[in-house]
Amino acid sequence: MSIGSLSLRVIVFGALALFVLLPFVQTVLLSFTLTLPREGHVTGEATLLNYAEVFARPDLRTSILNSLTYVTLNIGLCLAAGLPAAYAFARYRFTGDRHVLFALLAFRLTPPVVLSLPVFFLFANVGLVNTPVGIALVHCAFNLPIAIWILESFIAAVPREYDETCFIDGHSIPSFFFKRLIPVIAPGIGVTVFFCFVFSWVEVVLARILTVTAGKPITMAINALYGFQTDMGLVMAMTVMSLIPGMAMIWFVRNHIARGFVIRT
Amino acid sequence: MNNPHSNSAWLLLMPALALMGFVAVIPLVAVFNFSFHDIFTIDQAYWIGLEWYQEITADPKFWGSLGRSALFSAIVLSIQVPLGVWLALLMLRMGRFAVPVLMLVALPLVVPWNMIAGMWLSLIDPATGLAGRAMTAMGIVFDYKFTALHTWILIVLADTWHWLGLVVILAYAGVSAIPDPYRQAAAIDGASRLAVFRCIELPRITGALSIVLLLRFVDSFMIYTEAFAINAGGPHNATTFLSLELAADINSYTYGRAAARAMLDFLIVLTVAWAFIRIRSNGQAR
Repeated sequence: MSIGSLSLRVIVFGALALFVLLPFVQTVLLSFTLTLPREGHVTGEATLLNYAEVFARPDLRTSILNSLTYVTLNIGLCLAAGLPAAYAFARYRFTGDRHVLFALLAFRLTPPVVLSLPVFFLFANVGLVNTPVGIALVHCAFNLPIAIWILESFIAAVPREYDETCFIDGHSIPSFFFKRLIPVIAPGIGVTVFFCFVFSWVEVVLARILTVTAGKPITMAINALYGFQTDMGLVMAMTVMSLIPGMAMIWFVRNHIARGFVIRT
Repeated sequence: MNNPHSNSAWLLLMPALALMGFVAVIPLVAVFNFSFHDIFTIDQAYWIGLEWYQEITADPKFWGSLGRSALFSAIVLSIQVPLGVWLALLMLRMGRFAVPVLMLVALPLVVPWNMIAGMWLSLIDPATGLAGRAMTAMGIVFDYKFTALHTWILIVLADTWHWLGLVVILAYAGVSAIPDPYRQAAAIDGASRLAVFRCIELPRITGALSIVLLLRFVDSFMIYTEAFAINAGGPHNATTFLSLELAADINSYTYGRAAARAMLDFLIVLTVAWAFIRIRSNGQAR
């Protein structure tokens, strides 16, 4: 790489880092700043009180737990239903396969605001409101298509002979899936988990409409902190807390993140 | 593509179809049904046919929002897609240094959507924000509350910050999968950088790019959370997008009209996606 192209990259990615990181720096700074006056403290001083309050307040602690619960459940559902479907698309042709793929695409493209109203009535009827289970289910509407696409491209990259050898070796279908297929497409599972997480953890519209009184996730707990006198320090401390699982996810899939996205319609 | 034909593969789809049926198909059919009714409570609904659709399409406000949403999508796509692809191309041949860049651009993707606006608003706060104080020191007045242009700039900036990573990741996935011999052959032929991009790289990343274009189109066309949190559609409705109008209907309990609006928005999105896919598969067939 020449000096010219090297310095171009240093400048471009330096500017990119500044652009991406600046809002995070601001958030972290505020989270360590006292923004509302308290006894014995002056506003603007550096403090750990915001974080202490996050851990002391039961509503905030529960919201972290609720978010983790529904995201885990959603990822589990997407993998459980997505793997067999992705296998079918990667290995077989069948009547209507292209139509199903287009339907899946259409549902991924359905804006959540469009579905929010009937989803609330439907889930209220079957007792799925105010629980993390409801959010986990409804987020499948946009995450399951994504999961199927990513998994399909990873399965398609495995030669068909591999499956045939395993079946000749006497594996049943479930044992083939768990013992042979999942280990070879492990990076694909990782990428799927990452993208399901990315679209589910941060979603607000459906999460809000489904949690009226209880089961509120982190996003709604943060919304509830806004008021007549908003404690921005506390809001930002909670935001920083909400970033930690996401950053861990990025770390785990960092070497595989840019693989496995093709569109077949 | 020499997969065997087997209709028993449908069995493997059953769990996914059952799940999608419950969380997507039933709600969509319900919205469709709601959109033909005047709904007072959920038990008191009256069939009114196409009245909501007539009312909405006769309202110039709807066309205004549609125009603003289309303009926003156009701006967002024309900034984020070229920029993301360019960054992905720069990342090639950076070896292991590409990974930290990918991690960097992925960071904004894990921020809760309702905090995107909060983070940017505190950044540009003239009294306490880092960028806000810098702008004040330089004598720049950034008035996102009352100047429409500034609100637009802020929403586009926040959206680009939020989603650029997705474009970079998917574009990089495409270009990094191109085997090196292709570029070596091009170099021997003395092809220019532009020619390499047009003839080798672009055709190989159209798959990944279509996904990016579609996802970015829908999410920007129906932007809600960020736009609402930044200025709630103001000043003077200058940033009232389709989804903000829809949410206003839901919040005022006019469910019938909200459903008709939702159906219209859904149909627009689906038509664009369908046209896009048709154009793309025609291009491939040639």
